[in-house]
Amino acid sequence: MLLKRFNRTQRLYHLFLMVTFLIQAGTGFSRLFITTDFGRTLSGLFGGYETAIVIHFWVGVLMMVGFVVHSIYLISKINWQHPIKSILGPDSLVPNLDDAQHLYQRILWTIGLDSPPKVDRWAYWEKFDYWAVYWGLPLLAITGIMLKFPLLTTLVLPGWVLNILALLHRAEAILAASYIFIVHFFIGHLRPTCFPMNEAMFSGSVHLEEALKEKPAWVERLKKEGKFEYAMAKAPARWYRVLYFIFGYSALGFGLYILINGIVYGRYIQLH
Amino acid sequence: MAYIGAVGLLIGLFSLFIVPSGPPLAQQEVTSKIYRYRERVATGYYEGYEVSPRRQRALVPVPSVRRGLFPYGSASAMVRIRARLPDSHQGLKFYYRTTCIECHPQEARNIHSVRAGITCRQCHGPEPIAAINHYYSAMSPIRRHAYVCAKCHEGANAAFAGFYVHEPAGTALSTRESFPVLFYTSWGMLLLLLGTLAFFVPHSFMVGLRELFENKSLQNLIKERISPRLKRMKDGAFSIIQRVMAGLRKFFEKKKAAENEAEDAP
Repeated sequence: MLLKRFNRTQRLYHLFLMVTFLIQAGTGFSRLFITTDFGRTLSGLFGGYETAIVIHFWVGVLMMVGFVVHSIYLISKINWQHPIKSILGPDSLVPNLDDAQHLYQRILWTIGLDSPPKVDRWAYWEKFDYWAVYWGLPLLAITGIMLKFPLLTTLVLPGWVLNILALLHRAEAILAASYIFIVHFFIGHLRPTCFPMNEAMFSGSVHLEEALKEKPAWVERLKKEGKFEYAMAKAPARWYRVLYFIFGYSALGFGLYILINGIVYGRYIQLH
Repeated sequence: MAYIGAVGLLIGLFSLFIVPSGPPLAQQEVTSKIYRYRERVATGYYEGYEVSPRRQRALVPVPSVRRGLFPYGSASAMVRIRARLPDSHQGLKFYYRTTCIECHPQEARNIHSVRAGITCRQCHGPEPIAAINHYYSAMSPIRRHAYVCAKCHEGANAAFAGFYVHEPAGTALSTRESFPVLFYTSWGMLLLLLGTLAFFVPHSFMVGLRELFENKSLQNLIKERISPRLKRMKDGAFSIIQRVMAGLRKFFEKKKAAENEAEDAP
């Protein structure tokens, strides 16, 4: 029995973010590490030092368009008859007090002092994932655009701001990449309940047993609201499963390639 | 009087020997040939204009700078305010034998040099290298953007020239004095990164570990496959040890018996 978790639009957003994020990480880190063998190899994938920045800029523009479209989608999803209830409700990704309680309970559960928390549709770690990207993307976009046009930036701001902008862009990129390649990949692939891969974001559905274990409050709520029958989903086609397994593992491999080489070659960046 | 001609010849030869051996009036190249060759191979740039003003000193007089046979030594030269001299390296001993990065190793590590392969003199100019704050220097903040930055960054304005090319290490303590915004931003971002990872890495790991122990199939696997195998291995190891011990005991008993027999013999 499969339970529907993500619709086609949401999965498309994730796919879009995956592809653009990996391209941005590849081009960006190829330029950051250009003084090392790793950076030179990586920049070879993207046509060299000069071409990488062109790709980086235009994919960044594409990401910003995606961000705006996604924000409009978010606003359209608010139930305007009950805006506060809809924004703070269990179907929303906005953090609430329950999340703090779940976090506390889950930490106790890991050391065997409590039962697992009754998580609703979105767990606190999923909300963190979401908002980390949501504030990181505009920060990278704004600093990136200002660095792309330094002459226009310095028409209004002093020159040392460029140093700060470069630092912010770099540091936020490293933060985002290390979070995604360590924590997000661990949660999505290596966690025993998800191993070898959490398919929900590609197939759009989760197994009922898994949902009952991970998100018991959500299943309960669906049953209570009479939506349970409507939330049933079909199993994904075999060819599609094969396709997204290959795709997911390619993304994982690329991410780990950047992460490991980034750690190994980190000390040879020579920035200042 | 033939020797007068010989003396004249000697004087002529002597003057021929002396005149070309002195420093030429033209400017002389500064650094050693080996260093220049190395730099050329490493960067692909040849600093053709890297020459020193041997005879032609800067025409701008410098207050309280002594010239002549005994200029001040390198130690006292260090304490002069060099940021205002027309020749910022004036009076340094053995200056012609040194290179920029021998005295300024930190300054060589900047984005312009490391990434774009730009050499010191492409911005700081040829000898004499005027001090940053000297009024007529191309690097003077009042005209740096036009004379230096705009060579590559077309349309650079004065604020643009305020970019720190020789950016200090963001997390270094000395940066708190020289560039406090950079210092606090770097530490802020570093702590954000470390904080996020310090929370989420152990958190995910603990959750993963806990799920591993709650996994039914894994428990079955351990109970049905791994535990018996471990037990068999343990028993096997024990039996080997027991056999070895038994063998040793037998061996020593035999030896003792033989010794006893040997003692009993005489």
